[in-house]
Amino acid sequence: MSPFRFSTDALDTAALQRALRDERCGGFASFEGWVRNHNEGHAVTRLEYEAFTELAEKEGARIVEEARTKFGVTRAACAHRVGSLALGDVAVWVGVSAAHRDEAFRACRFIIDEVKHRVPIWKKEHYVNGDSGWVNCERCAMPAAHTHEHEHQHAVHAPAPDYSRQIALREVGVEGQAQLRSASVLVVGAGGLGVPVLQYLAGAGVGRLGIIDADRLEPSNLHRQTWYALSECGQEKSSLAAARVSALNPEVRVEAHALRLDAHNAERLCAGHDLILDCSDNFATKFLLNDLALRTGKPVMFASVYQYEGQLQLVRGDSATAFLRCVWPDARDGLVGNCAEAGVLGPVPGVFGSLQALEALKFLLGLPGLKPGEMLIFDLITLRTQRLRAHRQPECEAHRRAASSGELQAPDELEVHFSSLADAASAGFAFVDVRDSREREAEPLPADTLHLPMSKLLTDAAKLALTGRYLMICATGKRSAAAAALLRSQGFLECRSLRGGLKSLKVSA
Amino acid sequence: MSAREIRVQYYALLREQAGRSDETLTTAARDPRELYAELRTRYPFTLPPEMLRVAINAEFGEWSQPLKAGDAVVFIPPVAGG
Repeated sequence: MSPFRFSTDALDTAALQRALRDERCGGFASFEGWVRNHNEGHAVTRLEYEAFTELAEKEGARIVEEARTKFGVTRAACAHRVGSLALGDVAVWVGVSAAHRDEAFRACRFIIDEVKHRVPIWKKEHYVNGDSGWVNCERCAMPAAHTHEHEHQHAVHAPAPDYSRQIALREVGVEGQAQLRSASVLVVGAGGLGVPVLQYLAGAGVGRLGIIDADRLEPSNLHRQTWYALSECGQEKSSLAAARVSALNPEVRVEAHALRLDAHNAERLCAGHDLILDCSDNFATKFLLNDLALRTGKPVMFASVYQYEGQLQLVRGDSATAFLRCVWPDARDGLVGNCAEAGVLGPVPGVFGSLQALEALKFLLGLPGLKPGEMLIFDLITLRTQRLRAHRQPECEAHRRAASSGELQAPDELEVHFSSLADAASAGFAFVDVRDSREREAEPLPADTLHLPMSKLLTDAAKLALTGRYLMICATGKRSAAAAALLRSQGFLECRSLRGGLKSLKVSA
Repeated sequence: MSAREIRVQYYALLREQAGRSDETLTTAARDPRELYAELRTRYPFTLPPEMLRVAINAEFGEWSQPLKAGDAVVFIPPVAGG
């Protein structure tokens, strides 16, 4: 008899418990989920449950079996109601018998949590006011995804995901599909690269996807982030992406994090994932992930685009191949433009995100592809590709040792924040304006400001004192950060950049 | 050293500033550093070599690595867009 069953009749919990009796067992733990009279502020009068029975029974049985293996318990079973339920009815029952109580409790908890996340069950709530609504709380129970789960309607009779077209591939097959299902991938950035990455990984049935993005959708994103809608501008991209993933493939467990990856949260957020995909648009994030790969041995695949071209690199912490820092020891944000500054044609990140998804699936399936340390460069103007081999730099070894012994390094304080220029002046900074003369005329800075446009930065750097405490300033903080980095590399170690540029002063004023 | 033919490819900002993706040059430059210095007299390249990587014949190389006739040299700036 299957250890997971649906029932249209009331659950006979005494009979279910009797079936798990075993003389080898010293403990029995059970959980019952009941129909309660309210949900998120709505008074509920009764409930209906529906399930894709065939798929759901298989998945449920798999969960119970996983729990038995994982916790070494003797017997376990789960029963779930479908059909119409009244207040107080038992909706779901889990029972576990084991030699000792600890594994019985843990296995019981595991089963109910996994059933809620993984088994396709839909719940229709009937409210006191006569309204009713289908809610998929059972399956979108991840806390971060909770805010969006009621915004999209789940089709009650939607078909189950069908991977037959990829299972048909000799290199994938049923076994490969199971590998994808058990895989967990963290996608850092839900923008131009992240959108195709998430679409294809969700479509392929990768079991768990983490999404990190601190930004909200802007109209200027949409020419390349074509998964989103104009009407959704202003909303968090991580939540929008998570909702899209769930709509595309409800089997995927998705977690959305509306935050920026930093030295303090990186390790926690990356834990539990088999592969990290860098779909970010800045070097601070890329180097943080690089250092995490060094420290933890976790594989990271990097992608970056610029106008009509891009670069793809796989870093494996456990191999002797090159890291991102071996290739770019000194790369800084603002040195070369990102999409906002330099422009980009929409399909360019589309191509690279698709390539990244392809390489990720191949990586998870153990198929040949981009080798660790190798960089793929694809120029989409000439359609020329290059695969360049990079070598591990000795400094990276030193870095790995340093990384394995301590905390991840926060990027040094190249950028500083001030609410006003007066604050910056009283902090002892002399101002260096790196904007061009047209911008300077339109928005002049205090009279004693040095003017050092980007184009003359290095030739005119002699005007600065090596030990001077300078604050580089531009409109948005990008050019000034690049200028400060460049000057630091030339020995001007006290250079800083005004974070967010003049724009940030206006906002805070 | 006498001049010989080197094939050069430009990426990202360098492509933009050179106004081309690639070219074949006759040069006496002994290594990528000299070659890049020579190219900076012809093109308005803003990035110093420290900020770039050079690859010779599909392998990331050193700025001081000797160049031979027929070498394919690629100058690559870091890119971070996404």
